[in-house]
Parts: sequence; structure tokens; C-alpha cells
Amino acid sequence: MSVVDALWRVPSAQMAWRNLGRNRIRTALATLGIVIGVVAIASLGMAGVALQQQAQSDLGGLADEVTISAGQDADAAGLTDAQVDQIRSLAGDADVIPQKSNSTRLSSRSGGEARVSVTALTQASALYNVSAGVSPDRLQSGALLSESTATELGLGLGDPVEYDGRQYRIRGLVASEGQGQFGGAGELVVPVSALADQRYYDSVTVVADDGDEATEIGDALDAEFNAGDEQVLNIRTSASIQSGISSFLETLSLALLGVGSISLFVASVAILNVMLMSTIERRGEIGVLRAVGIRRGEVLRMILAEAAFLGAVGGLAGAGVSLAVGLVIFQLLAGDPLLVLDWASSQYLVYGFGFAVVASVLSGVYPAWKAANDPPVESLRG
Amino acid sequence: MTVIGLEDVVKRYPSGEGYVEALKGVDFHADRGEMVTVIGPSGSGKSTLLNVIGLLDTPTEGTVRHHGRDVSEFTEDELTEERRSSIGFVFQAFHLLPMLTATENVELPSMWDTSVDRRDRAVDLLERVGLGDRLEHTPDQLSGGQRQRVAIARALINDPEIVLADEPTGNLDQATGRTILEELTRLKAEEDVAIVAVTHDEQLLDYADRVVRIVDGVVQ
Repeated sequence: MSVVDALWRVPSAQMAWRNLGRNRIRTALATLGIVIGVVAIASLGMAGVALQQQAQSDLGGLADEVTISAGQDADAAGLTDAQVDQIRSLAGDADVIPQKSNSTRLSSRSGGEARVSVTALTQASALYNVSAGVSPDRLQSGALLSESTATELGLGLGDPVEYDGRQYRIRGLVASEGQGQFGGAGELVVPVSALADQRYYDSVTVVADDGDEATEIGDALDAEFNAGDEQVLNIRTSASIQSGISSFLETLSLALLGVGSISLFVASVAILNVMLMSTIERRGEIGVLRAVGIRRGEVLRMILAEAAFLGAVGGLAGAGVSLAVGLVIFQLLAGDPLLVLDWASSQYLVYGFGFAVVASVLSGVYPAWKAANDPPVESLRG
Repeated sequence: MTVIGLEDVVKRYPSGEGYVEALKGVDFHADRGEMVTVIGPSGSGKSTLLNVIGLLDTPTEGTVRHHGRDVSEFTEDELTEERRSSIGFVFQAFHLLPMLTATENVELPSMWDTSVDRRDRAVDLLERVGLGDRLEHTPDQLSGGQRQRVAIARALINDPEIVLADEPTGNLDQATGRTILEELTRLKAEEDVAIVAVTHDEQLLDYADRVVRIVDGVVQ
């Protein structure tokens, strides 16, 4: 009731509200058009965000890493401890993970054999996600093994594997999308001590917060180590992948929003039609208003208020429905319905509402202007 | 006291190739406290005359004076303001707004003017026309005669100097029309207003202080 009470003090709004109540079916249908428009624009916008977030979490792992190996002008056959320290100082907060690699053939007690790449590092948790067991922050003993290889050889958590004459207990199974040097093939991850006889690191991976930071670090390293045309370090970032993904997703979002805004455009044409019809129908009545001394501006405001109410009510209802649609979209695409409440996606609810009100008021301008400027003599006669 | 005066007013409308002359040099005036009935056949120009008197239409030639001021110099908004403050209208078809109650319909002319509260005067006027028990009724809950009383109360809400009635009994049966005319006559004296009624209904002549006959745009 408080809304109605507040409206009561604004004559244009009060009259507008009552005018809308006169033909409820027409008002409801016009509002429904707006609701559909808002739902289209808001839920397609949110779908774009959901896709973007999903793509970032699926592919973003590639793009936020800098991979460094010895370049063709390097003095040593790998990266030295001094170089690793220098990389650490340039990388700031980002994780710097030096790795040594090799390859071997693992055999099982039942006689099966599998070829795996061997990666020796300490901070396993930064590069490997495990589907079972743990991925230690400091890998001092034990090993991680690719899930696929473990299955192939019939090994499980706690089983020993032998490498270079030593036994390592399996502490974690690496999910199949492991990010090692030789992705795809099986991989054995062991502590650095296992490859102690290799003097240099074969590669260093820097894990930044996002693709932009990775690009910055890559550029800084390039400037530090590679003077002129020399290539002491071979530095690879996925900046092009990152920007490619971003621009594709932006295009996709825009396309989705474009489709949504067509619905809102259609809805505002419907409002234009409804307002035009209702002002033509009420021509005599508006003539009376003008005759008894209601100013043109007051008639104009009254009809604009009608359009604004249609937009506001439709916009609110549309935002409500869109929120429900958003929960479903995020449940399906990202697995967490509550992500819809993040500003990144919930902003589309606000935009949808805003566009609805603006589009409705714009659609009301012509009918309102026409009604307000109709000479009262003409409208009373007709 | 003369509220409104027309001097040699001509009104021409474009029509096809030429013009239709609805008023051909009309002189007219109305004073407070009198009821002037303008009578004439349809097409005689009486509605045009009423529109000119009510500042809804402007003459092609001649002068219209409100309180001695020439209204041809008024802007559209000044004309609207003048209608709001000193003219009341009663229409043949009543023209009440269907979504408003009787009281709200009476308040309508002052509805946008938030500086005054005319609720008490609206109720008072409705009581005086015998609708004290119909204050919250909407027009579709009222009879034709009751609707016209609401319209009369509406015409008087802003203390006008002149009330213009276009066929006030045109949509009513004879008995109801008579009570409406009695109502108008009483209020004319109580409120000290000029009433100009346009009609082709001879019944109105019984209540007129003065009769103006108009034929083919000329006052006889």
C-alpha cells in the first residue's frame, strides 16, 4: 500500500496507475511483452557470463602460465639455480616451479608395462590436480602418477612404483588433464631429489593469477635475460590463446545480447502500439482534461507515467524470472547456481530492468506528445 | 459585471477548397448571476460560439475579452490556466472519468494543483446537488441525472465566474432535465456565476434570464 500512498501525492502517477487498471488484460499483455524482453536480454547476458567463466576455468589454466626453458644461446644445457632465483625475483607473487624431466618405463607386478614421462619438482600442488589422494605443496617423498597409467598398470594409492632403483609410494593420482611437459602420455611426478644427478632444471613454470599477469611476467623475463636477438631463455606465454579466448567470448556475449535486445525492441514496439491505441480511445477524455484546465505538460507526464509503470512492472517481473533462469543456467554450465549473484552476471538483471524502463518511456513519448497537443476542440468533438 | 465579451467575432474553418464560416460577426456578453441560453438548430454555429467563449477555440477575426483582457494575446498555457481558474464546463455526454469516484471527478480540475486541497469543497458541492450519499461511487454506479450533477459540481470546483453548458439536458429524460436545470439555476444565484447554456431544447428557455438565438452563424 505504501507504494500506492506515495503515488497518491503525484497526480500524474496516480492517474496513470488508475488508467492502467482500467484495461487489465491489455496492460497485462503489454507487461508480458516487456517481461519476455527482459528475460531474453538478462538471461542471454548471464548465459554469456556463465560460458565465459566456464571457459576461463577450463582453458584459463593454459593461459596464466609462463613456461621457460633454455634457449639456443644458453650457456648451459638447462636453467641454473642462479637463473631460477632471478626468475623468482622477477615473478613477484606468482608461483615459480622449477622442474627436471626424464622418461622411463614402468612395469607392474602382473607384467604390464607403460612408458611415462618423469617430472621432478617440489611444489606439486601448483601444477597438478589429483582425482584421488593429495597433491602436496612440498613433494619430499612419494610420487604422483597419472590416473590412466595407474589404471593400466593396476596400481592404486599407497602402492609402490620403482624409478631409478628407488621405491616411491603413490600419494596421489593425477587427473587425466595433467599439465606436464608431455601432456597426453602418462606421467610420474617425483621429488626433486630423484633427479639429483641432473645438474640443471629443464624448465621453469611460472603460474600467474591470470593471463595478463602471465604476459607481463613473460615480457619482464624476456627483457632481463634476452638482450637483443640473443635467446638465452626460451619464454613461452599463452597470451595469444588468452586474448583469442577473450575476444571470442566477448563476441559471443555481444551476439547473445543482440538477440536479447531484439526481443526488447519488439516489446517496446508493442508498448508504443498499446499506448497509441489507449490514447486514441481516450481522446475525448483527454480533451475533457485539457478543457477543465489540465496543462499539456500534465497530460504528457500522465501518459509517460503509464508507459514507465508498464516498463517498471514488466522489468521487475522480468528480472525475477531472469534470476530463476540464471540459477538454472549457472547450475547447468558452472555447477554452482549461486554464482548468478556475482555482479558479473547479476548486473544483467539491473541492465534488463533499466532497458525495460527506458524503452517503455521512449515508446510512450510519441503517444503522450500526440495526446497532449491534440486541440481540445478536436478531441471533444471526436 | 461582464465576465466575457465577444465583439464582432468571425470564425472560419478551412473546408475542401474554401472556407466554412461558422460565426459571422457575433457580439455576445455574459454577466455574473445570469443564465444566458443560446438556442439554435444544429449547424447554426452555437457549439463554435461556446468553444470560443470557453477559450477552447480562438476566433479568426474579432475580439474576445475576459475581464476586459484580449485573449488573443494569451499563450496556450495562459488559456489553459484561465480555463482552470475561471471557467467551468458541463458537457452533454457528462465526460466523467470512469476510474475516479464522484468526489475525485469533482476534484479533477484541481487535481494537479497540489497547493490546494479541494476535497472539502468537492464534498460540499456534491452534498448541495443531492449526492451526499454517492461520494465514493464511480460513474458507472450513477444514473444519468446523477452523473450530470457530478459534472455540474466539477464545473464549480474552482470557483469559476462562468459555467458553460453544452446541451446539459441532451442525454436526460425531460423530468431529470428539469431537476438539473433547477439545480443550475439555484447554484447560479448561490455561487454568483454566469451560466451560458447552448441547446436546441426549448425547455431551457423557461430558466433563462436572457435568450440568444443564433441561425447560420448570425445572432438574430
